[in-house]
Amino acid sequence: MPEVAPAPSEPVPASRHLAGDDVGIVQPRDFIHPGPFTFKSGQTIPGFTLRYETYGTLNATRDNAVLVCHALSGDHHCAGWHAESDGKPGWWNNLIGPGKAVDTRRFFVVCANVLGGCQGSTGPSSIDPATGRPYGSRFPFVTIRDMVDAQKLLLDHLGVAELHAVLGGSMGGMTAMLFATEYPLFTRRQIILASTAKESAQAIAFNEVGRQAIMQDPAWNQGDYPRDGGPRVGLAIARMMAHITYLSDAGMDRKFGRRKRETTAGETSTFDAQFEVESYLRHQGQSFINRFDANSYLYITRAIDQFDPAGAAGSLERAFAPVQAESLVVGFTSDWLFPPEQGRAIALALLRSGKRASYAELATDLGHDSFLLESAELYTLIQGFLERSESYVFDFTI
Amino acid sequence: MSKPVEKRTVDMQVLGEWVEPHSRVLDLGCGRGELMAYLVQAKQIAATGVDLDFHRISACVRKGLSAYQGDMTAFMRAFPDRHFDRIICSRTVHELNDPAGVVLEALRAATTVTVGFVNHGFWKNRVDALVRGRKVRNDVYTTPWHESRPANPLTIADFEDFCRVKSIRISRRAHLLGDWRTPCPALPNLFAGYALYDLARA
Repeated sequence: MPEVAPAPSEPVPASRHLAGDDVGIVQPRDFIHPGPFTFKSGQTIPGFTLRYETYGTLNATRDNAVLVCHALSGDHHCAGWHAESDGKPGWWNNLIGPGKAVDTRRFFVVCANVLGGCQGSTGPSSIDPATGRPYGSRFPFVTIRDMVDAQKLLLDHLGVAELHAVLGGSMGGMTAMLFATEYPLFTRRQIILASTAKESAQAIAFNEVGRQAIMQDPAWNQGDYPRDGGPRVGLAIARMMAHITYLSDAGMDRKFGRRKRETTAGETSTFDAQFEVESYLRHQGQSFINRFDANSYLYITRAIDQFDPAGAAGSLERAFAPVQAESLVVGFTSDWLFPPEQGRAIALALLRSGKRASYAELATDLGHDSFLLESAELYTLIQGFLERSESYVFDFTI
Repeated sequence: MSKPVEKRTVDMQVLGEWVEPHSRVLDLGCGRGELMAYLVQAKQIAATGVDLDFHRISACVRKGLSAYQGDMTAFMRAFPDRHFDRIICSRTVHELNDPAGVVLEALRAATTVTVGFVNHGFWKNRVDALVRGRKVRNDVYTTPWHESRPANPLTIADFEDFCRVKSIRISRRAHLLGDWRTPCPALPNLFAGYALYDLARA
């Protein structure tokens, strides 16, 4: 058995979070895969770590696991709180918890930071045991498939026999899609939100501008920089620009409009932040550089850009041919990064290849980030998909 | 007149007799998936539904059914010829913007197309218009004009004429009296309250 950090991830009751609809205080754990791992590129690392969290309990038949897959800048902390003093809960706390859409009283929920990430899982900022220094640009080229394979090893380690469901938004939806195609007998349901089976030229273009902002920063130094250093300016700019693509024109207008911020003493330049949207983006950029590694950003955006199961298989129908899972695809009207048409294409290809698939679309003005929306409609849809009963009473009302 | 609940059941039972077991069926305007659920249970079909409304799709998903939120013609265009064994258009045809376009596209994407509709040539509906001078209101059409969706009511004569003009082959028909149960022996455009057709390409 691989070694695992001893700390239990069972929720600890805490006075602040006794509301009953929350998983409470949670602790991340580390899964350490001791053997070599070979990437799709053929490159190998001697072992890897995935940081993960679990909520709920694996049942006796070991088939009630729900794997949650995070997006580009997300992590394993998708529900609950790490400490009483935390300002914010996990990123999908509104969806996951006792009695919520993903009900932790029924399901054993697992979420892991992806391979290539920087929130505790092995990635370019990890120490290469061969050199004693961070891998940097020497880290193997990462694909979504590599992320999926690493998470499958984690699920095997946890004793999961079958996934009740895999779900994710954006890149998380790509991860879900590959789980259903690469491990068809293991994956019974998939939920794909605000995602795509292949990025458009526009989406690749935005990622490329982000990467250039990082790589043109002299502190990037070909990916070779100390752990506390690196291209902070470039990474902040990449994040600021990407953040715009996660919102929508109408949503930004509603949130910021042309409101101006109060100027603080000493700010005289014409180019200090004047509009609220400017200071908001600057704040997004600054907080991002304190939690994200620039090389991980390069590797993961590249993995997203490369994702194209249809290109590899000849057609999306052929790529989906092995799928056994029932699928739910959800699009959001204001998502212009991965627009609803791209979600429709996934559902239609699944249906054309004879699979059971549904497509639903929510009208929102929150853009690509809509999948994180607090929406009773979305909760009902997801809960209905996860918990539907096989038998029910017919309702013959017209 | 019989209760709406029974009427819906009768509608389903007729369709249930026509649908081949284990066939691949598409339901246009699937609503909350009641017909699909019934046919899945009775005939073990592989069902998919299309509807415009999020909440209806959500209700289908809760029943374990495949449902797609979107335009039905655009949906059918995404499938090769005869992908479906049968496409059902049950009590939807009178609400379509382009009924001929939908039926013809369905005839391309499926081997058989089933259309079921309320016959507005039924004598009671004629009396409504002639004597009362009002929009039809009964236990099927329960709402007054100002609370109703746009509708393009049709009669059996209209529909058979449409099939003739478009060279669509009618392979099976069922005309039911006002109780939607008893077969109509004669003069269906006057005495049938409900009509069902199986169509195929000529």
